[in-house]
Amino acid sequence: MSRIVVTGIGIITPVGTSLSENRIALKEGKAGLSSIELFPTKYASLLPFGEIKISNEDLKNQFNVTEKGVTRTTLLALHAVEHALSDSKLTQEQIQSADTALINGTTVGGMSEGDHLYQDTYFNEVGSKFVSSYNLGSVNMFIQKRYGVRGVINTFNTACSSSANAIAYGARLIKHGFAKRAIVGGTDALAKFTINGFNALNILSPNPMKPFDANRSGLNLGEGAAFLILEKEEDAIGKNIYAVVSGWSNTNDAFHPSSLSDDGEGPYLAMKGALEVAKLQPKQIGFINTHGTATENNDEKESVAMKRLFETVPAFASTKSNIGHTLGAAGAIEAAYCILNLQHQEVYANLRFENAIESTGLIPVTQCQQMNLEHVMSNSFGFGGNCSSLIFSKV
Amino acid sequence: MFYIHQSSCISHLPTFDEVDIENLLPSENNLISAIEPKYIGVPLGQLRRMGRALRMGVGTSMKLLQENKVDGILVGTANGGIEDSILFLHQINEYQEGRLTPTNFVQSTYNAIAGMVSMITANKGYNTTHVHRGLAFENVVLDAAMLLKENPDNSYLITGVDEISEHNHRIVSLGGWYKKESVLNSELYKSDTQGTLPGEGSASFIVSNKSENAVAKLNAIKLVSSDDELYVKQQLQDFLSEYLKNGEQIDLMLSGENGDSRLLNYYTSLEGLMSSDTTIARYKHAFGEFQTVPALALWLACKVLQSQRIPEHFVKRKSTDSFRRILICNNYQGKQHGFMLVEKQKS
Repeated sequence: MSRIVVTGIGIITPVGTSLSENRIALKEGKAGLSSIELFPTKYASLLPFGEIKISNEDLKNQFNVTEKGVTRTTLLALHAVEHALSDSKLTQEQIQSADTALINGTTVGGMSEGDHLYQDTYFNEVGSKFVSSYNLGSVNMFIQKRYGVRGVINTFNTACSSSANAIAYGARLIKHGFAKRAIVGGTDALAKFTINGFNALNILSPNPMKPFDANRSGLNLGEGAAFLILEKEEDAIGKNIYAVVSGWSNTNDAFHPSSLSDDGEGPYLAMKGALEVAKLQPKQIGFINTHGTATENNDEKESVAMKRLFETVPAFASTKSNIGHTLGAAGAIEAAYCILNLQHQEVYANLRFENAIESTGLIPVTQCQQMNLEHVMSNSFGFGGNCSSLIFSKV
Repeated sequence: MFYIHQSSCISHLPTFDEVDIENLLPSENNLISAIEPKYIGVPLGQLRRMGRALRMGVGTSMKLLQENKVDGILVGTANGGIEDSILFLHQINEYQEGRLTPTNFVQSTYNAIAGMVSMITANKGYNTTHVHRGLAFENVVLDAAMLLKENPDNSYLITGVDEISEHNHRIVSLGGWYKKESVLNSELYKSDTQGTLPGEGSASFIVSNKSENAVAKLNAIKLVSSDDELYVKQQLQDFLSEYLKNGEQIDLMLSGENGDSRLLNYYTSLEGLMSSDTTIARYKHAFGEFQTVPALALWLACKVLQSQRIPEHFVKRKSTDSFRRILICNNYQGKQHGFMLVEKQKS
């Protein structure tokens, strides 16, 4: 069986609107955390957020979006899909062929228009322009129609591991012959809905987040999107190939709706499962882009799980310290970052780390540095106990 | 693709405990609401806090997991706990983003159903939630088929579930997808206006590669995203010629016709591909329209294959009354189409 490779990447985050801009920011240890400027919320200047400073109007103009009711979540996805498609140089015919799949992962969907949903639900006699855009399927309904994609279309919601599962699903569809190529990724916009939800759970940090630090105080919410083009290696001859998608796994911690078990069983099984699919030994993993949300619970349990699986825990870092937690988009954005690790043989700093968590003693990468990397892992865990790991390998 | 063993269903008809689908129960106030049963295997304290979709999805799942162990849990739901999302939005507005209680927020995540089932049964295997509207359940089926190729000895629990809640009903109504005038479900197909009657429910299945004691075999599936009627028809034609061997034919077509004048043409054109020996039946007068209703149609197909009969109220055109091969056709809002081919186990 031919390997599944990545031939195109599109990304938009608080630190850049292209893969190269993101790389520069990661290398320089730049963070895109700030007050919210683009929509009103009580928390706008009380907490740091990873907001992309491009308005919906500008995004619409940039991509000539004239349809009604297109949400920010969809616009961010559109940016990433557009870039990924042109990067991989897929032809119109290939994009519209019945064996091209389109798979998205999102947790916010049209809930980025929560104020409109509230009005539509309780007050409006005539629906707002967003009336058909609230649920999570709305993003891919739009992307599918815009590009005329005709293969398997799907949307995942496994909370914060959504787009990791979208990537794995795309790879599996190709492997099993249900698609020849797949456009896979995730998107989420900042929303009053998620800001208040995470705030009610007391896991938003008043300061820029400090993943894996003993004195971490929670996460910062961010927004963004990333999409990858997956193809079989034999179909990608002559193309720029970024990396191989070599392993994936999806498990459940089966412990609590919003926190991980003490022994990190779900994360442990996800990482172990991904190694099995990739047919790799733990020691072959050179770097882990961790889930690393800087909550009291996650970083300790993820550390416990890594220590259980790896005799020597590989170099690791959380790029959420740069852009915040982008929820459903995190898996895809961090997949793109893993690919940068492999492509440039370098790893980026986990910002603001000072002291190791006492019980686990693990220290993340704190300086950008060159590193010989063959295989890198990306972890994404979510509410509902969902845990996923992906492995990317050098071509 | 795979074999279906046990199944369970919550719908507008008595389908959960003693199954009785012989007689149609009337809709009320233009709603085809589900009869919620007495749930088993779900801790009462948890049940009280759950929204309707969560209760129904966990309910049909837990009924099957009382006596079966599975290696993973797959749920299809277009809206999940969107009612909880709206209640949380209400809190945000009412308390002007003050101190809010997180229960609605945590349950509003669409994956709460799969997560809850894994938690109750300590299931640490594959766990996912497909949410792509009218193809959410079809993607569950496709995912399960791939999992069973990857892990041939495993078995999986697959579920399709959605609810009618006060608020999502209002949103879809504003979108123009429900009947404005009063229509009884028994008269649904005579209606020549736009819109349909909303429904809700949940159906769960245990699936594996083991043919022994299986109720049915799900032989093939196709997912189509298009609003081009001719293209959709061509796709079904290709699907049938790919999967029907020489001389084989469809004995029963379960059509997703829903009384919406805008969508009738899709279904009549698909019916046109059937031979005169095919019995044609419909299911949305009984289950209502919702994105994951194909799961309930699959449950119905299993019942028909087991009992070798289909109650009169489902039948549109009677032809053969011996059922070996069933085609399920569904269409959500004219844009998403699913075809499933289900066969009786050879005895």
